Amino acid sequence: MNLEFKKSIAWMRENLFSSIPSSILTVATSFFVLGFFRGLFGFAMASDKDWLSVLNNMQLYMVQAYPEEDFIRVWISVGLALVFAGMSIGLWKSTEESSLSEVFSKFLRVSLAFLFFTVVAPTFSSVTDNDGIIQTEESFPMETRLQLLIPSAILVVVFFVLKNLKLNYKFNKSDLLCFYLAIPIVLMWIIKLPTIQLDSSNQRIFPDPLMPIADTTKTPWTIIFGLFLAFYFIGSRFKDSKNIKRTMSISWVLLPLFIFSWIFKKPEIDLPTILGQDIPIFIGIFLIGALTITFINNPVVEKYFSIYLGVLIAITGIALFISVPILLKSALLLLVLFTIVIPAVSSSTKGKRNLIIVWGVSLFTLSVLIRGGSSDTQIIVQQQSIFGGFSLTWLLAIFGTYVSFPLGVLLALGRNSKLPIVRLVCTGIIELTRSVPYITWLFFASVTMAVFLPEGVNFELVVRVLMVTAFFSGAYFAENIRGGLQSIPKGQYEAADAIGMSPFQKTSLIVMPQALRAIIPTLVSSAITAFKDSSLVTIIGLIDFLTIGKVIIGTQSIPVNFVGHDRENLLFIAFFYWIFTFTLSRRSMKVEKRLGLGER
Amino acid sequence: MSIIKTNDVKKWFGDFQALKGISMEVQEGEVLVICGPSGSGKSTFIRCINRLEQHQEGEIIVDGIELTNDLKNIEAIRSEVGMVFQSFNLFPHLTVLQNVTLAPIWVRKKSRSESEEKAMELLTRVGIPEQASKFPGQLSGGQQQRVAIARALAMEPKIMLFDEPTSALDPEMIKEVLDAMKELALSGMTMIVVTHEMGFAKEVADRVMLFDEGLMVEENTPTEFFDNPQNDRTKLFLSQIL
Repeated sequence: MNLEFKKSIAWMRENLFSSIPSSILTVATSFFVLGFFRGLFGFAMASDKDWLSVLNNMQLYMVQAYPEEDFIRVWISVGLALVFAGMSIGLWKSTEESSLSEVFSKFLRVSLAFLFFTVVAPTFSSVTDNDGIIQTEESFPMETRLQLLIPSAILVVVFFVLKNLKLNYKFNKSDLLCFYLAIPIVLMWIIKLPTIQLDSSNQRIFPDPLMPIADTTKTPWTIIFGLFLAFYFIGSRFKDSKNIKRTMSISWVLLPLFIFSWIFKKPEIDLPTILGQDIPIFIGIFLIGALTITFINNPVVEKYFSIYLGVLIAITGIALFISVPILLKSALLLLVLFTIVIPAVSSSTKGKRNLIIVWGVSLFTLSVLIRGGSSDTQIIVQQQSIFGGFSLTWLLAIFGTYVSFPLGVLLALGRNSKLPIVRLVCTGIIELTRSVPYITWLFFASVTMAVFLPEGVNFELVVRVLMVTAFFSGAYFAENIRGGLQSIPKGQYEAADAIGMSPFQKTSLIVMPQALRAIIPTLVSSAITAFKDSSLVTIIGLIDFLTIGKVIIGTQSIPVNFVGHDRENLLFIAFFYWIFTFTLSRRSMKVEKRLGLGER
Repeated sequence: MSIIKTNDVKKWFGDFQALKGISMEVQEGEVLVICGPSGSGKSTFIRCINRLEQHQEGEIIVDGIELTNDLKNIEAIRSEVGMVFQSFNLFPHLTVLQNVTLAPIWVRKKSRSESEEKAMELLTRVGIPEQASKFPGQLSGGQQQRVAIARALAMEPKIMLFDEPTSALDPEMIKEVLDAMKELALSGMTMIVVTHEMGFAKEVADRVMLFDEGLMVEENTPTEFFDNPQNDRTKLFLSQIL
C-alpha cells in the first residue's frame, strides 16, 4: 500500500508536475474539469429537476406514435439485432482477461467520483428563466446531499474492502461484458421507481407512488437478454468459425434491410404489379448488366463501349422524364452507375462471376427498397409519419451509412476512372451534392422531389429523406475514400499488375483494403456526423429523438404537465447521443489497433 | 530460341524520348544485365516488357505473344513474367505468406493449401521461412526484397525482371539479396537485371548491356565488357563506377 502510494506520487511528479508550465496546465485543467462536473452533478441532482419527465416519456422517445398493437415488430427487430450482437461477441470473443480486484477497483473509482461530487456539488445555482432573467436558487439542499452521501460512502467502503481482498479470479472480458449487461436487467425486476399516477379526475397524485417497472417493458427485455446470452454461448462454442464468421458479417449487412421492412411495413402486397411489372423489369435489367459484364473484354464490345455507355446514359436520361415505372428508372440509373465501373473491375472469369453476383444482389436490394418504399403500408397512425423518436434517428443513421457507403465507394472509383464520361458523371454527382447544404436537400426531399417523381408514385417523407441522405453522405464518403485511394503508393498498383492481377482483384484485394484501413478514423467520424446530423430533419417536420425531448415534452401539458422541463430532457438526450457515439469511436479504435494501423 | 524479342522499341514521356529504338533478343535461360547512368532508359525498357509502361512504336514479343493493348495478352504475359522492384512494393496489409500466396490463389486459381505449401518452399529457398507469419513492415530491407523475389517466383514465371533490386538496401543487406538472385540464375531462370552491382554482372551474367540516353550503346559478354570495352561511353561509365 505504502509502495503503491509512493509510486503514484512519483507518477504524478513525472507526468503532471514535471515543469512549471505543465504544473500550471495541470492545475488549470483540473480546475475546469472539476468545475464542469461539479456544476453538471449539481444540475442533475437538484430537487427541482423532474426526471420523471424523461422516464415517463421513454416510449415516446423510442418509437413516438408507433401503434401499440404492432410493438411486437419493434421488439423483434431489437431482439434480432441483439441476438446478432450476442453471436458476434461470442464468435469474436476477447482473449483478454481481468481479475476480480480490477473489476472492484473500477467500481470503487466510480463510487468515489460519485461521493466526491456529492460533497462538492454547489448548493446554489444560477438559473436563466424563460424571460432571460438570471436567478439564484437553492438547487441542492443539505437533506438531498445527505441522502446521497450516506449510500455512496457505504459503496466506497464496500468496494474498497473488496478491492483490497486481492481476489485474483480471472474473468474473460467478453464474459464480463455480459455480466455488466445483466445488471440493469436484474435491477429491472428488483427496483421500484416513482411512477406518475393519475387519479379519477386526471390529476397527478403527489408524491409519486413507487411502482415496479411495467411488465411490458421488463418482460421483452429479459427475453431478449436471455436470447442474447444463449447466442453468446453458442457463438463462443464454435471451434472452426471461419465460415460462421463470414456468414455473420453478411447477415449484419442484410439485417438493416430486414428490420427496415419489418418495422416500416406491413405491406399491401400488390401481386399483379409485382408479377407483371417488377419481376420482368428486374430480370431484364439484370440480364443487360450481366451480359455487359460477360462480354466487356470482347474486342468489338470494347471498341464501342463508350458509344454503348453514351446510349445507356441517354436512355436513362429520357426515362427519368417520361412516365415509366419508378423501379425502371432507378434500375436504369443503377445500371448506368454499374456499367461505368465495370471496365475498372472486371476481366478474369472469377472476377466477372463475383461482379455478376454483386450486381444481382444490389439490383435486388434496390428493387425491394423501391417496392417497399412506394407501396402502401397497413400500419396506421394518426401522424403523417409512422417513424419518430429514436427509431427515426437510428434509421436515418443506419440507412444513411448503409446505402451511402457503397455509393461512396462506387463514386470514388468512378471519379478515379480513366473513362472521361464516367469521371465527369461521378465528379458531377459529388460536386453537385456537396455544394448544397444538407438542410436544402431536406427541403428538396419534402417539397420539391414530388415534382421529379412520376404520377402515382408517392414515397413516404421518411423514404425521400433517406434518398437525399444517401446521396449527401455518399458524396462525403466518396471524397474520403478518394483521399484514401490517393494515399496508396503507385508501387502497389504496379506490384499487383506485375503478378498478373485483374483490375477487379487489384481494387478489391490490394487497393481498397489499404485505402479503407487508412481512413477508418475519417469514416467513423463521417458515420458519427450522419448520426448527429439526423436531428436536422426536425426542420421539415419529422419528429426525431431531439425534437421529442426539446419540443414535444417541453410543451406537454396533457395528461401530465411537463411544461418547461426541457433542460433535464436535453441533458438526457445529450447523454444518450454520447453513449452511442462514444461506443462507436471506442469500437473503431479497437479495430484500428487490431489492424495495426500506425505500426506499418 | 529467343524468349524475348524486341524490335525498334520507342517510348516518349511527353516531349522527352526515353527509348530511341531498342532491338534485342534474350534466349531462354540467359542472364542479361543492363547497366547505365540514371535516366538512360534502362528501367523504362524492362518495365515495357511487362507493360507497366506502354511503348509507342516498335514491337515486343514475349514467349511468342506480342504485347498490344489487348488485356488478355497483357495478363497472359504478366503471369509469365515476374518482376522485382527497387522499392520492394510488398503489400503491407498482408502477411509474408499471404503476399506470396496471393497471386497463385487468385490469378492461377490454385487451392490454398497447395499454394501455401509452395510458398513455404519458396520462402525456404530465399532463406526466410521463419518470417512467414510476420507483416512486411516488421522485416529488414533485405528480407523484404527476398520476400518480393519469392512472391514473383510463386507465379512460376518463365522470365524474371529485376529493376535495381539492391539500390534501396543497406550495404550489408545487398549480399543476401544477390545470393538469392545468384541461386536463381544457377537454376536456369531467364533473367533481365537492371543493376549497378558490377560484381554480380561479372560473376553471373551471360551478357551485359550498357544503355545511354535511350539507346543501347554496347552489348557484350561480361569478360569482354569489363576488360575490353569497345565504346568510349562504356569506358567512361566503367571508369566512374569501378
